[in-house]
Amino acid sequence: MHSAPALEIRGLTVRYGDAVAVDDLDLTIPRGQTVALLGPNGAGKSTTVNAVLGLLTPAAGEMRVLGRDPRAAVRAGSVGAMLQHGGLPSEARVGEVLHLVRRSFGRAGGDGTWPLADLVATAGIAGLLDRPVDALSGGQRQRVLLALALVGAPPLLLLDEPTSAMDVEARRAFWTTMRGLAGRGHTVVFATHHLDEADAVADRVVVVAGGRVVADGTAAEIKAGVGGRTVSFTAAPERRFDDVPGVTGVTWQGSTVRLATIDADATLRALLADGGLPDLEVRGASLEDAVLSLIPTRRQTTIGATR
Amino acid sequence: MNPLFGFQLRRVARNKQFVFFTVLLPALFTIFLTKIIGGQMPGVAERQEVSASIMVSMMAYGAIGASLGATIRISFDRASGWLRQLRVTPVPQTQVFAVDVAVGVLLALPSLLVVALVGRFVNGVQLPVGTWLALLAVLWAGSAAFVALGLLVGLSLDEKAAGGAIGILGVVLAALGGLWWPVEMLPEAMRGLAYTLPSYWYAELGRGVAAGGWPAAGAVLAMAGFTAAFGLIAVSVARRRPLHAVAG
Repeated sequence: MHSAPALEIRGLTVRYGDAVAVDDLDLTIPRGQTVALLGPNGAGKSTTVNAVLGLLTPAAGEMRVLGRDPRAAVRAGSVGAMLQHGGLPSEARVGEVLHLVRRSFGRAGGDGTWPLADLVATAGIAGLLDRPVDALSGGQRQRVLLALALVGAPPLLLLDEPTSAMDVEARRAFWTTMRGLAGRGHTVVFATHHLDEADAVADRVVVVAGGRVVADGTAAEIKAGVGGRTVSFTAAPERRFDDVPGVTGVTWQGSTVRLATIDADATLRALLADGGLPDLEVRGASLEDAVLSLIPTRRQTTIGATR
Repeated sequence: MNPLFGFQLRRVARNKQFVFFTVLLPALFTIFLTKIIGGQMPGVAERQEVSASIMVSMMAYGAIGASLGATIRISFDRASGWLRQLRVTPVPQTQVFAVDVAVGVLLALPSLLVVALVGRFVNGVQLPVGTWLALLAVLWAGSAAFVALGLLVGLSLDEKAAGGAIGILGVVLAALGGLWWPVEMLPEAMRGLAYTLPSYWYAELGRGVAAGGWPAAGAVLAMAGFTAAFGLIAVSVARRRPLHAVAG
């Protein structure tokens, strides 16, 4: 059992009516990794996370969580999760909710629970334990939900857009916590569409689009895999660059144009022949460029709602 | 005690509206109605009979409100995402359901007890000890029908509709089922409607016992039928629409 990977997904397919949310997805995550599931809204990240938690019944595929069936793994206290549509009960105090979930993990005979004082510091919920749930702010709720995911000290953490309600500072503190957890040997899998988070925190980035894995590797590998460059310079707004050789994408920021290109040489030659290039800058692809180049844009609109 | 049971019980007990509508209001109605209607009765025996009948009606009214109010809340817990959150902890789903049933059953008891105490000590209702106990027992057992109905409504309706349903169901069941006034006072057509309501048969169950006899077989059968029907439909709704589903 202890040699089983944290997560093993084979051929996972989930449909909502006619829409295919996850399409024959394969993914194996060994223990101890910190993995970002990266992709646009509707890519199938949440659906994958929910399937792994046993919250929905897939049309096809096999999933093992720490060697167990998803529901059995949750029941055994092996998994802590932060959901996108998770919530807290009304007419209860934060401490009571925490205590309830903590006891459920204790009864399940998991690896033990997190010492309370440490949990309070880690999740950043100091002073909130006596607070009624109904009196929490959005960011505070999010931190309490994180504390619920951590309270059983589960070996696998599944976090679905955990920082969506956090401000910049809370976000930074959150990721410091996550790095600490990874350091203690926890497996952390998080879905995000913040590229900087994936770049900074994850040992491994899995890019999901159209319900499939389109890239899988370290952030550096994914950037390198694109092999493209970005050419940016100041240009008159009426200029068009679609026909310039090598160009795969055009974005404007004020009067600065950024051209993504697969052949920087050819692109620059053509541009220079056409006139000057004030404020010219040429650099390697960012993770954002890499991900955008990987995502087939036409398919995004056909993906159904994420539940 | 099961931790989830204690947790849920505390949450409901903390709700001031719940305590007001299920314990305080029926107790006040018991005193008020007995003073008005009982006061018009010429003899002691008639006054006793009317006082006992009003007490039984208000015991039924309070217990119905408590059983419905405690269980319809499952809709709020679904809407807030709490049931979904619980689903990703080691707490078993069957326990979540069972605990709400147990809380609904237990919370019918304070309403029954308080109204009975008010009937005995404020209104002077005299019954043999065995009859008091039997009355509490049948009304407590009969409240199962409203626990089942509350779960059915809570599982079927979304948060807003469920919130409204608590009040509306309570009023309809009390007014048309003959708890606020005797069914005989209703017009002929509405009297027929009363006989189709579980609240009417629930109070009948208690009246039979308070009169010193057994509950009428018709009332027992009707309550068993309502309980089974509400329970079965609730279970089938729960199967079609899992507790952790976000919506739809």
